[in-house]
Amino acid sequence: MIIEALIAITFVASMAVLLAPNAWAGRLAATLSLLPVVGSLYMWSRFDATGNALTGGTPAFETTVQWLELGGYTLNWHVGVDGIGLPLVVLTTVLTTLAVVSAWASIDDRQSQFYGLMLFMEANLLGVFTALDFFVWFVFWEAVLLPMYFLIGVWGGPRRKYAAIKFFVYTNIASLAMFIGFIALVFGLGDSVSSLDMPAIAGALRAGELGSLYGIPAATLRTVAFVAMFLGFAVKVPIVPFHTWLPDAHVEAPSPVSVMLAGVLLKMGTYALLRFNFTMLPETATQFAAPIALIAVISVIYGAMLALAQQDLKRIVAYSSVSSMGYVILGLIAYTTYGVGGATFQMIAHGLISGLMFMAVGVIYNTTHTRMVGDMSGMADRMPVTTGILVAGAFGYMGLPLMAGFAGEFFIFKGAFESTVHAAMPLFTAVAMFGIVVVAGYLLFAMQRTLFGAFRLETDYEVGPAPISETAPLAVLLVAIIVLGVAPDLFFGMIQNAVDPLLEFGGELS
Amino acid sequence: MVGAFDYAPAIVLLPFLSFLVALAGGKYLPKGGAFGGIAATAGSLVLSAWVFLTVSAGNAYNETLYTWVAGAGEETTRLTFGLLLDPLAAMMLLIVSLVALLVHVFSLGYMNDEGETGLPRYYAGLGLFTASMLGFVVADNLLMAFMFFELVGLCSYLLIGFWFRDSGPPSAAKKAFLVTRFGDYFFLVGVVAVFATFGTAKFAGEGAFPVIAEEALAGSAAEVTTFGFAPETWFTILGLLILGGVIGKSAQFPLHTWLPDAMEGPTPVSALIHAATMVAAGVYLVARMYGFYALSPTALGIIALVGGFTALFAATMGVVKREIKQVLAYSTISQYGYMMLGLGAGGYVAASFHLLTHAFFKALLFLGAGAVIIAMHHDEDMWNMGGLKERMPVTYYTFLSGSLALAGIVPFAGFWSKDEVLYEALVHGLGGSPLLLAGYAMGLVAVFFTGFYTFRMVFLTFHGEPRTEVARDPHGVRWNVKGPLVVLGILAATIGFVNMVPVQDLTGIHLEFLHDWLAHGELSALTAEHYGELLHDYAHYTSADVASYVAGAVSLALALAGAGLAHVLYNVPEPTEHTAKLGAVKDLWYNNYYQDEYQIWIATSVVLPLSRLADKFDQGVVDGVVNGVSSVSLFAGSRIRRIQTGVVSNYAALLTLGLTALLVVFGVLGGWFV
Repeated sequence: MIIEALIAITFVASMAVLLAPNAWAGRLAATLSLLPVVGSLYMWSRFDATGNALTGGTPAFETTVQWLELGGYTLNWHVGVDGIGLPLVVLTTVLTTLAVVSAWASIDDRQSQFYGLMLFMEANLLGVFTALDFFVWFVFWEAVLLPMYFLIGVWGGPRRKYAAIKFFVYTNIASLAMFIGFIALVFGLGDSVSSLDMPAIAGALRAGELGSLYGIPAATLRTVAFVAMFLGFAVKVPIVPFHTWLPDAHVEAPSPVSVMLAGVLLKMGTYALLRFNFTMLPETATQFAAPIALIAVISVIYGAMLALAQQDLKRIVAYSSVSSMGYVILGLIAYTTYGVGGATFQMIAHGLISGLMFMAVGVIYNTTHTRMVGDMSGMADRMPVTTGILVAGAFGYMGLPLMAGFAGEFFIFKGAFESTVHAAMPLFTAVAMFGIVVVAGYLLFAMQRTLFGAFRLETDYEVGPAPISETAPLAVLLVAIIVLGVAPDLFFGMIQNAVDPLLEFGGELS
Repeated sequence: MVGAFDYAPAIVLLPFLSFLVALAGGKYLPKGGAFGGIAATAGSLVLSAWVFLTVSAGNAYNETLYTWVAGAGEETTRLTFGLLLDPLAAMMLLIVSLVALLVHVFSLGYMNDEGETGLPRYYAGLGLFTASMLGFVVADNLLMAFMFFELVGLCSYLLIGFWFRDSGPPSAAKKAFLVTRFGDYFFLVGVVAVFATFGTAKFAGEGAFPVIAEEALAGSAAEVTTFGFAPETWFTILGLLILGGVIGKSAQFPLHTWLPDAMEGPTPVSALIHAATMVAAGVYLVARMYGFYALSPTALGIIALVGGFTALFAATMGVVKREIKQVLAYSTISQYGYMMLGLGAGGYVAASFHLLTHAFFKALLFLGAGAVIIAMHHDEDMWNMGGLKERMPVTYYTFLSGSLALAGIVPFAGFWSKDEVLYEALVHGLGGSPLLLAGYAMGLVAVFFTGFYTFRMVFLTFHGEPRTEVARDPHGVRWNVKGPLVVLGILAATIGFVNMVPVQDLTGIHLEFLHDWLAHGELSALTAEHYGELLHDYAHYTSADVASYVAGAVSLALALAGAGLAHVLYNVPEPTEHTAKLGAVKDLWYNNYYQDEYQIWIATSVVLPLSRLADKFDQGVVDGVVNGVSSVSLFAGSRIRRIQTGVVSNYAALLTLGLTALLVVFGVLGGWFV
């Protein structure tokens, strides 16, 4: 029942904040958002799942309640977490609280709506990462878009409407493709499933029970559905070339919203790829190993090259997310413990690190009112604490050992290099790894120009140390990043446990 | 005998603790946290000495202490941290902790007495730097080594860029990290590939990867994945990948360009970087996994050639520099070239020996230069100095000791070790590996240049008449500067006595203690003895019979010739520049063979435009398509909207037309008109 409680509390909290006066909505939201944090940490402490929730494992905190019947299919309220879901739940709750606190200093307009929407989004995100029934999952999945649309469209920058609509329409069309693909699979399974229960569907698909549909042979159906779902999720991740909504959304979104967008929302895409494409259709995935690995490599290198060309700090971090997500795809397609597990770990690591980076850039923007690299220099002189954390975070992004990013990337590299899904995987991996040089390039250049040298600022604002409500969340994130980097097994143990069952199929791969 | 090893983790943790203390409370502590650092490194030094004594009693330690990733089940690799304490590590621990301690003490004079701000940050950086390097030294596997290797890189970034308000240091710091990162990319690929090949990255003990590799080459049923290559080829590839990191960190050609720029950092930091930490890390790594490199003659040959070439190449550039620290920077690159030459030539002991002696005399030279720079009110140009000999005798005589060691003049430390490196290259070169002779030749020529630039530096700085007002009345230095100088000055003069092979050959007295030290040990796979067998069996190195004192005499003669030339040209009351006599070569050397230019050109004229092109492509084409699709649908929508005019009669007409059309369609399809 704790998952229901978690989601329900967050919904109620969002409503309460929505009705609260603007003056203390931020404080209330932060306080109330601690409840899901405590709840998720409690779940972590009591976590006892084994295996993968979709392939016959036992998820923790599972509940199944029959909800309604639809066209011969039973729809259940079915939630639970395994070693893949729980880390994302913890990430979501922690990051939401920190994003809310970091928003105190910068959001000065319609606060109750802002914080209400943030919590509303959190509730839906928790649903996405815990739902084990497709219908429930899809409702949450789509419901995440709404608050994000308003958060960008109302509190965003000058081109916020363009960015918000682009985000909404692009991801929504993608959802449609994914939905059609998945439903086609369900219909193709025919009588072997009678519900939209994800474990049941995954089990049937992995057992090879997919039949033909409307005269389309099963093999074709599987391929088409795989591609449709892949495209749908690729937009969300985003994978090159479906990434262009991301920099626009990030640039226009206020910083706390960027934190959520990069930190958690992008993970919806990789999470769904893992849960649907890579769990349910492993043969098809491995059949497409080469092209998928290739676009992963392209995402890494091309994303990093784009980041190198940017002058806007936020765009730099935004494109670097594209690059980092490429690593996740590379890890997923590897089909090794370290590959898929590392990809999952990287979702958490990147969530924390990109959250930190967006937050830190936001702190600088709030003080200087510019994000352009050329508009400032020597910020270290005026904002030493923020600079220190930003430098640490940037090194985390570059994959400095003993920080979470290195762990995630190293697991992926190791898993992908030794993968046997395709003969060229070592080569793909080696090329993708060059991203660690490019990322160092653009972050070091940007830091040198903005943080160091003599102090100079093109805008007329007083620059001083940031308020504690902005630096404290940064510090918390930094500590979390280091802790996970020193002790990755805090999550990686359970992740491996949930990932290992996925690797056994067809009898050939392991 | 367990005592020392039980406390060994503290060697790493103490400086780390001083990092935390300085970071958190440095501004409330006296001297900005310096004493914490001094206490911590002194503690590390004491413990290192204890470990050294324990190891010399014939013990070794190779244990896993912390499981980073436990791995699920039998098949997945466990990733662990552990300690490997053998003679090599014990020796290196002593070097690092001693130099770190002296650098901390010296910093009191160089930073605190000079009224620097940001001292907590400085001492925090020093602490972390020391801790990272010590962690690297004791690492028992390649992954852990890589992790601390990277942390060393981070610390160099933080300390080189210490004076972040100026424009030079941040740029130099960025360059140092970026260039070494480029090398580390290959290293990381190598680490990942080692895991994929052997399933482990342990350096020593049962199932260590050099052991498995040896078994695989011997054909004794070790399971390795070689990705379709012959094991020999694949192991060479692995070795070369890891070598990428070595070339970056140890500033070997062509990734040496960061090092001269790194002189932007505070001088004590330069001493630490050059003598004991960052730059030493690369060479130490090759020595650490020498059992692996010894299996591949190709990799060894490349190491030797890169080393020999770098030794000569860097030495020539040192000849024309004006700043005292620049001369020292190029000498560092050159000296590490010798170590690489030694390793590549099969001289494991020789290279380790040179690592040892160089650590002390280079730390000494940098700290001496630091004292000079304090005296000169932070002017580093040697042409503004002169005559400092009378005004700062302690600095002069210690600096001279270091210079004699660097130039390789008997009996100072550098002579013995450099000579042994060259000797190894010569005998193995003559013994059937002619490639090494090229390395030897380059190394030998570099001896002349080394002698020349070293004494050019000494004469310009300390001899003759003072050439500026500041040099006439230099700023005094205190005990905290002189103390470390004296300690290192004595070491630079004497440390070479631990291994006097030529004297032994001449007199028959047993004098090669370092050889003995490294040749045996409890971990037999990590001994020089074992490496010798590997070199013989797999790299086919055999020694020709050359008397060591003959080779020593040749290099000594060259060193003296170089020093003598410097004496003639620069040891005069009012020296003048003679570089013009070099003609076009001077420009080439002064501009460092245009190495920086082409690397900057690659960054700014190839990569950056490429990224801008990618950005244009992304904005124009990729996003253009997205916006295009949306415009098409919007346009279509706006056209279709025109149908909805709001005029009822129009709708009625459309309805009628539509109905008619439908009727016709159904009629045709339904066959009504047939």
